[in-house]
Order: sequence, then C-alpha cells, then structure tokens
Amino acid sequence: MNINVTLRPLARFLVMPFTLHGKRNNLYSSILHRCMSSKIPAVPCPNKESTSTSQQLELDGWKTTMKSSVQESISTGLSDKDEDPLVATRELIEMWRLLGKEVPEHITEEELKIIMESPSKSSKKKYLKHLYIKEKMKKAKQRKKEMKAAAREEAMKVKLLETPEEDKQQNFLFLRLWDRNMNIAMDWKGAQAMQFGQPLVFDMMYDDYMKPKELQNAVSQLLESEGCNRRNIDPFHIYFCNLKTNGAYHTELVKRYREKWDKLLLTATEKSYVDLFPKDDIIYLTADSPNVMTTFKHDKIYIIGSFVDKGIQPGTSLAKAKRLKLATECLPLDKYLQWDIGTKNLTLDQMMRILLCLKNTGNWEEALKFVPRRKHAGFLEISQHSQEFIENLKKAKTFKSFPKSSLNVLTQKRQLK
Amino acid sequence: MTICMSALRSFPKLWNSSPYLGRGPRHSYTALFLTNCIWKPQRWFSLKTVSPQNAKARDLLTAKARCLRKAEERAHKHTPFESSHLFAAGAAKKRSQMNPQSKDRAPPPAKNTFQLPTRPLNSEEWDKLKEDFKGKASFEHWISSQMAHCHSSIDVAKSLLAWVAARNNGIVGYDILVKYLYLCVFHQQTSEVIDVYEIMKTRYKTLESGAYSLLIRGLRPSDRWREAFLLLEDMKKVMVPSKKNYDDCIQGALLHQDATTAWNLFEELLAHDVSPMLETLKAFFDFGRDRKDGHYSKKLLDLLLYLRNNQLYPGESFAHSIKAWFESVPGKRWKGQFTAVQKSGQCSACGTGLESIHLSADEYEFLKEKIMKDVIDGGDQYKKTTPQELKRFESFVKSCPPFDIVIDGLNVAKMFPRARESQVLLDVVSQLTKQNMQLLVLGRKHMLTQRSRWRKDEMEKIQKQASCFFADDISEDDPFLLYATLHSGNHCKFITKDLLRDHKACLADAKTQRLFFKWQRGHQLAIISRFPGSKITFQRILSYDTIVQTTGDSWHIPYDEDLVERSSYEVPTKWLCLHQQT
Repeated sequence: MNINVTLRPLARFLVMPFTLHGKRNNLYSSILHRCMSSKIPAVPCPNKESTSTSQQLELDGWKTTMKSSVQESISTGLSDKDEDPLVATRELIEMWRLLGKEVPEHITEEELKIIMESPSKSSKKKYLKHLYIKEKMKKAKQRKKEMKAAAREEAMKVKLLETPEEDKQQNFLFLRLWDRNMNIAMDWKGAQAMQFGQPLVFDMMYDDYMKPKELQNAVSQLLESEGCNRRNIDPFHIYFCNLKTNGAYHTELVKRYREKWDKLLLTATEKSYVDLFPKDDIIYLTADSPNVMTTFKHDKIYIIGSFVDKGIQPGTSLAKAKRLKLATECLPLDKYLQWDIGTKNLTLDQMMRILLCLKNTGNWEEALKFVPRRKHAGFLEISQHSQEFIENLKKAKTFKSFPKSSLNVLTQKRQLK
Repeated sequence: MTICMSALRSFPKLWNSSPYLGRGPRHSYTALFLTNCIWKPQRWFSLKTVSPQNAKARDLLTAKARCLRKAEERAHKHTPFESSHLFAAGAAKKRSQMNPQSKDRAPPPAKNTFQLPTRPLNSEEWDKLKEDFKGKASFEHWISSQMAHCHSSIDVAKSLLAWVAARNNGIVGYDILVKYLYLCVFHQQTSEVIDVYEIMKTRYKTLESGAYSLLIRGLRPSDRWREAFLLLEDMKKVMVPSKKNYDDCIQGALLHQDATTAWNLFEELLAHDVSPMLETLKAFFDFGRDRKDGHYSKKLLDLLLYLRNNQLYPGESFAHSIKAWFESVPGKRWKGQFTAVQKSGQCSACGTGLESIHLSADEYEFLKEKIMKDVIDGGDQYKKTTPQELKRFESFVKSCPPFDIVIDGLNVAKMFPRARESQVLLDVVSQLTKQNMQLLVLGRKHMLTQRSRWRKDEMEKIQKQASCFFADDISEDDPFLLYATLHSGNHCKFITKDLLRDHKACLADAKTQRLFFKWQRGHQLAIISRFPGSKITFQRILSYDTIVQTTGDSWHIPYDEDLVERSSYEVPTKWLCLHQQT
C-alpha cells in the first residue's frame, strides 16, 4: 500500500509505452528508474531504530542506508550516459524541483528549447517560474472543474430522488435564448456603429517595439477592449490601423479570434490613420503628452497606441505623434486623482472603458473609476482650504532642505508675518 | 480624528526630542506638522475637528505634498550642503542623509522566534517538535531551512537527518540533504562534505547548481579538490558557472599549489565575459608572495592592467595584498605607501604627477560621435528632439565661436527654490561674463514667456551677455548641452548639477560609458554656492584621472576603503603608491 501511494505521482511516466524506442523514451524511463529507486528502498527500513525511539538517534546511520540503496540504482537506472544538453537541462530542472524551487513539473520539448536558448541564468529562472505558475493555475482550474462536475452530479442525484411533483405545465412568454438574443442585439448595435459611430483608432505600429510576451498581453487587452465596446450602449467604430497582414499582431489576433475574426464589426486596415482621417481631427492619446485632455470631443478621432511597454522606452508614442505632427493629449489623472504608485500608462481596456464612459456621460469622476484602485489613494476634491494646506506643507518642506539655517528662516518668517 | 488626537498628544515629546526643527531626519514627517501647527494653529484645529473623513483627506494631502516635493527634488537635484566632491566615494551617501525623505521607513518587523534545538535530539523529541509546529510548509523542510539560516551545529542537523531517515525508510530528501551540505560547508567539516558528496554522486545522476556550488566550495580544502573541476564541467553543460564557482576552483587550485590550472580557469572565466570577483584577483596576489617567478609576476601585472582597463578598484585588504606582493619581489626594492593625491594631481608620497583626466584626441572624437549617435539621435530623432530642431541647433553651434562654458539654464536657475529663477540665472551669467568667458545658455522656450518667475527684462539681459539656445518645451535639453560642450573642444566646461546618469545609460557599451564618465569628471562644473546672490563657487575639477596607473617604476592604485560606501558613479579618494627605490 505504501508503494502504491508513492507511485501515484509517477503515473505520468507510465503513460508512455515502454516498447517505444528513441531518445525521449530512454530519458523518461531513466528518470522513472531513478525516481523509483530513490523512493522505494531496496533495503527495508531498519526496524531497530524506529522502535527504540527513546534512545539517542544514531547520527550516521542514515548514511549507510542512503549509500546502500544507491547501489541498486546504479545497476538499473543509469543506463544511458547521454551528453545531450537537453537531457541535462531536464535533469537540472528535475533537481531544482526536488529542492522545492519554482519550476514546472512537466515540460515540453519546445519549452525546454526556449530555456536553453535564454541567454542568462536569471532569464532561465524567470521563464521557469512563469511555467510553474502557469502549471499551478492550470491544475487549480482543473480541480475546480472536477469539483463543479461532482457537485452537479450530486445535485442531479438529489433531483432524481425528489419526486417530480411540479411537473405541471407552465406558461412562459420567452424561450431561454438570452445569450443568443444578446449577441444579435450587440451585433445590430455594432453594425450601426460601423455606419454612424465615432471612430476610435488603435495604432498597431508597435509590434517592433514589443517582445512576444508583451505582444500577447497587448492582444489580450485588445480583445477585452473590443468586448467592452461591443456591450456598450453606444459603441465606437473601432479601427485597427497599420495592421500588417500576417504581421505578428495579425497572426496573434487571428489565432485568438479564430473564425470570428472575419465577422468582427470593426475596421482592420493596413493603412495609417493619417490616410483615413483629416489630420486636424486626430488626437493621439499618450501619457507623455504635455497637453491635458479637458473634455471628450465627439467630433475628434482619438488614437490609442496598442503598445504594452514593460521595458523602458519612454516617449515612443509621443515621438510617433511628433513625427506626424498630430495633436496629443493625456488623461487628467493628476487633476482628479491622488496618484500613489504605478505608471500613468493605463491598459488598453481601461482606456476603452474610460473613453466610453466619457462619451456617454462626460463625467470625469465616473470615468476615472476605471483607473485601478491600487494606483491612487482617492479622488481629489480640492477645496480652497485644503489647497492652502498643501501650499503650507510645501513651504515647510522646502525650508527643511536647509537644515542648518532652518531656525533663521523660521524667525524670518515670523517677522514677515 | 483619533489619529489627529494621538498625534497631538505626542507633540510635547517631539518638541523635546528635536529642538531644532526639521534637523533630525527621523522626525522630518512629524516636524513638518509641527512647523505648520506653530505658524497657524487655528488652521490645524479647524481641520482636525471636522470628521474622520477629513483625517483621511489630510493624509492624502500630506502624501501629495510629499510627492510634489519628491518630484521637485528630482527636477532640480539641488543639494545645498555638500562638502565633498561630486564624484568622490561616499558623496551620494552623504547627500542622501541630507535628504530627510529617505528616512521615514519603519524598521522591519521582528520575526517571531522559534527556539531551534541546540543539541542533538532523539526521535521522540523530534516527533514532539513536529507536533508543536504549526505552519504551512512541511516541518522537515521548514526546520532544515531554519537551521541552515541560523547555522546550527551539524550534530543537531545530523540528528534531524537520522530522524527523517528513520521515519522514511532510510531515505533523506534531496532538499534536506542540500541544506545539511550547506551547514557542513559553512562549518568547514570537510569529511562530512565528502560523505555527502559520495551519497549525492551515487544517488543522483546529476545535481543542480546550488548543490554543485556547495560541493565545489566544500571540496576546496580537501585532498579531492581536483574533483571540483569535474563538478564545474558538469555545471557548464547547462549554464555558465558563476564567478563564485570559478573563485572557489581557482582558490582551491592555488591552495594546492597548482598555479597553471588556476590561470587557465581565470582565462576561461574572462572568456565567458564574466567579471571576476576581486577576491579571486587577491588570491593570485597572495599566492604570488611566496613565488619568485618572472612569468607569474608578469601575469600579476596583467591583472593590474585588467583593473585599469575595466575601471575596477581593489578593496582595502586587496590593496594590502598588492602592496605586500610588490614589496616581496626580490631585487626590485619596491616601497608601498597608502596616501592621498594632492589637488595639483601629485601623489603626496612620491610627488609623481598622475595621469591627466583629459581624453586623448581619438577618444574625444569617438565620444563625440557616440553622444551624437546614441544620446541625441538614439535611433529616433523625434524622441528627444525633432530633426528641424537638431538642424537649427547644429547650424547655431557652427555659427558661434567655440564656447568656454555651457550652462544648463534650467538646472542652474532652479538651484535655490526660494529665489526667482531668472534672477539666479542672470547672477551666474553676469558673474561669468565678467571673467571674459564665452558663454552658451541652454534652455527651453517657456523661459522666454513673461511670468512671475521668469522676468522678461532679466532674460533679455542674459541674452545680451551670452549666446542662448532655447529648445522646444517637450525636447530634452541635456543632450544639447553635452553636444555643445563636446563640439567646442577640450577646454570647454559645462555647468549643471545633474549627474547625467540617464544619458550615460543611453550609451551602448561599458567602455563608452567609462569614457563618458571620465570626460564628465573632467568637464563638469557643479555650483556649490549656498545662498542666492552670493559669489558663485564651483566644485573643483580634478586634474587627474582616478584609475590604476603606472609609469614603469611606479604604480598608483586607487582603492576602496572598507567603511566607505561608494556609488557606481563615484571614484575612490584613497591611493596606494608604489615606487622603486633606487
């Protein structure tokens, strides 16, 4: 029974039939052997030690058992002395896992290749951690799914047990087809927006500036924004401008939307926004802009750079707007919010929600509720009184940068008063 | 409200503890309230009596004020009271102590203490300990990490392992084994290390980097030190071993008198583009003391040149090793002294003039080109400026005669937060004009619009006395400053307090960055006047370069003192002077 329990985590190795030949199989079987030999002792546990508990533990006893059980593993386990770095990497990861480091349990050949190609130790560890977290989430999801299924089955059983008393005929006005009706209604609204809606442009020129990870994040955010827009009462007419067919962006979008891509109610084009719209009507939204957006203008075309910048490339979008001589604006975050931490760059879907809210209500407080709560400490309601208070604080602080003369200054100040 | 009240209650205490307002950095935050409170008591009370919500609002306001101040600090980088040189070791540390902001962090919370066993326990006691343990991790895992962390004696650890083995059919998990190995290595129990090494070698086909590193370190003093190289080879299959692994191997080889292997490993380390630990270099010098070998001596001198080329500075004990080695060289009669260098650039001990800070003509051209290409252009001219502006600037610079001093207008003007910007700038410009300097003032266009802080008449006076170039408000002015200075020639200096680290970071490789830093040290004037209107004084520019240098019969080696923290953009002030006695 004991052996059964220890074998369970190894079951994954047993999936692959042993009759197969090849490097990979060898690898699996060697690991299997090693694990088995490490978990299952060849020498049964020395009973003396476990029974005579009151005695002092024999300090070096474990060494002999550790060494003796090993002889076994040498004769059976280490069959191939493969110098393949792939195998070596896999073994390294396995050892790291034994050490309790954050590495995934299962790893595919492609992932292994990525690990080997990553230039530094830290990048390897980073990627392994990413895989580890991904694996953990997947497992948790799986477990939840199983639990849900079990609960459903339970409920079904209970239902079956209950005698179907209320099997009476009931009168309903509608069939349960809400989802489909919703979709049709949204598509209808989307079609309207395609004809008469205010354009909102996503600038897709940034694929060269992003790493694959950032690009994937950007596409996720685009999907989210599109979903928001679709559900809104008065959607924008979305443009994906500068979208190169078969470019990195295009392939990723098609991969995510699949067959829906061609049925999306938005305009995807390889052209630039400056070709589609008059230059004077365009406003490029960028956090680096010196101009602050005061009101949402219904006759302008706002452009959002679909750019996730996890590295440090400040001013990329501003440079873009400068080159095309476009007007730029940034959200009045500092004016309305008590900014705390984080960059002023918001995600694409947050921008979309804010713009939709502004479009429908024009209320900044309402719109800026979509700024993540962790980034700010609250809304500013600067009355005359508190503004004075800030001024005072500021003054007090500036004095303190002159610690040696602070007393002098203080007296001076009093005299001035 | 309660917060306010408690703050109020503690005021008398505060008053006692910090009689000089705002002087003690620890009390900065509260002292700020205090000053405010003294000047306008009625305001304080009116605020506090309203509602708890208001208390929160106040917190927000103070936070805001703090943010504002931080931003201001970043913009101006003014540090009114500095005595040491801008780039001298420890100067940044001193500046940060001047800045009271950095001190309002709370001390780390005390860890809850769990009594680790101090003597080997028997299995019953371990069982009991396990029952008492309440934590998320598994007990064995947790206690072994704790023991490794607190450096328990290996007997205690061994009893843990014996207990684990007894419970687990004679098997000890890999992670516990590694932690035990760590303890053995820490306590330098070589025989235990070898035991664990045997166990690991037979039990596991390969190990991971942590265990390899420990084994390499543990095997170093033993007779089986050569096996550490095999382990190093194993590591290399998957990743580049760390400089610490190489250090251990090299020191092991030197310990066993195998200099050839040590040098080979050192070459390999350099080939991996890893910068060696200074300890490794020190070991070579220490080892060299007993050897009378011309070839070996030459290699040590190569090491010194390596320090020079990579602008590395030895630590204090390393400097002592270098000195001892030089003095042990037979027949040469080297004499070493720890000393400082005079302002004139002469060594206080031997009087030799040190190398000049000025760049050679080739280096100068190279740097100029790199600044233009990497810092100003940077692949996208629109990022920092516009092509039109760049053209305007280039033709402007060409049309003017070479300047003597280029001034960062905004940085200088914001030197004194309480004085009017244009006034400060005018002061500086007119004082320098009196010395017949050809000036260039760089600024932004917004300086020209009449405002309370930028008076038009003063700006006009400035424009009469100096050439001015105003960039767009959204352009960066520092790159122009760098280029104008470089364009004017080697004699030209620039005035700013900015340390220009972000521009240094734009440069592609470390070598160019070092070149830039050298040029910066030789050409940057930082104003150290403390009051607006007073006569401006500049931070002295060092005439000599702080780098390992030789004249054949003398060596001058700057080194870091153990007790001084040096930032990456500072240079040491202490020197080791070595010269041959004739």
